[in-house]
Amino acid sequence: MRSSATPPGPAGLTLLAATAVAGIVLAVHGWAGRHAGLAPGALGTAASPASAAAGPASPARTAAPAAPGRTSRQAGSRSTASPAPAGSSPAASPGPLLSAEPYASYSFKVWPGAPSAAARAALTGLTVRVRRRGPGITVTAGVSGQPAPAPRFYRDGARVYIVEASLGDDSGNSDYSLGDDGLIVTNAQGRIVR
Amino acid sequence: MNLSRKNPPARRAAVTDAPAPATPALAGRAGEIAAAWAPTGGRVLLGLVLAWFGYHELVQPGLWTGYVPLVSPGSALAALAVLAHGWLLLVLATALICGLVTRVAAAVAAVLLAEIVISLIAVGGLSDLTMRDAGVLGLAVCLTGQHPQRLVLRR
Repeated sequence: MRSSATPPGPAGLTLLAATAVAGIVLAVHGWAGRHAGLAPGALGTAASPASAAAGPASPARTAAPAAPGRTSRQAGSRSTASPAPAGSSPAASPGPLLSAEPYASYSFKVWPGAPSAAARAALTGLTVRVRRRGPGITVTAGVSGQPAPAPRFYRDGARVYIVEASLGDDSGNSDYSLGDDGLIVTNAQGRIVR
Repeated sequence: MNLSRKNPPARRAAVTDAPAPATPALAGRAGEIAAAWAPTGGRVLLGLVLAWFGYHELVQPGLWTGYVPLVSPGSALAALAVLAHGWLLLVLATALICGLVTRVAAAVAAVLLAEIVISLIAVGGLSDLTMRDAGVLGLAVCLTGQHPQRLVLRR
């Protein structure tokens, strides 16, 4: 046992220096990849864990306010500078099964039917509207309190999921970080609709 | 025959005397252990918290830029701020976990956490997130005091 006032010895200083260097290396790595994994459909302005985990196999994250913009820390006061252009009809080729994706456990069905308690929690700070239209659905997904972006049409879309990797950034009606949020549309077979 | 009426004092003694000395002794011993190890436990746990956040801020700064006040989350400045914050957290975490300049590290961590709490309150008011961070701030403040420390890098 020793007092916490004791100054560090050479080994301690070396360890601190090594940590500082390792931190710089990690920072360089983080700086180089700060835009990596920026999913076009991510709800946030940054890469989402789901897209990072899935890599290129997570193409179907859709939704609207993808454009980087001034985003305050409270979702209710976020102001996305320029909503992403509304996709009217993306390619209809179905993607992989959502259940086979790494982020499946973070995906909560919000449509059709009443969202579960977990889905409602994942929807904190977000607004998702779904309407049937012809052979598919139109989805409008945005941040609560902000102008709704243009709806996007998904041919053969049958289910809508919200992805929330961590609920720890949600509080009350606010989602403090949209970086881990996303939206996924699947067809009736559970395959992700692009 | 009624034994209880025959010897009531002896029975009371049998009931009360046996555990009486053991309980204070155990409590005292537990208190001694807690006094010796609680600062160390708090120090290491706070270090782990800082290490977790520091690492993730460094490897994925884009997930954290939304927390930078007064700066656009998409800007390079926000990413730089997150990286600098993550780097500082990582160094502080190492100092706390290894018991190096613990009080200084805890004081710096307290300043960082105070900024976070104040910023969260300013933006979103009181919330569960704010109160959780306020608790961590309290732990950092506690560690700025003089405590005996175990599990430290002596050399």
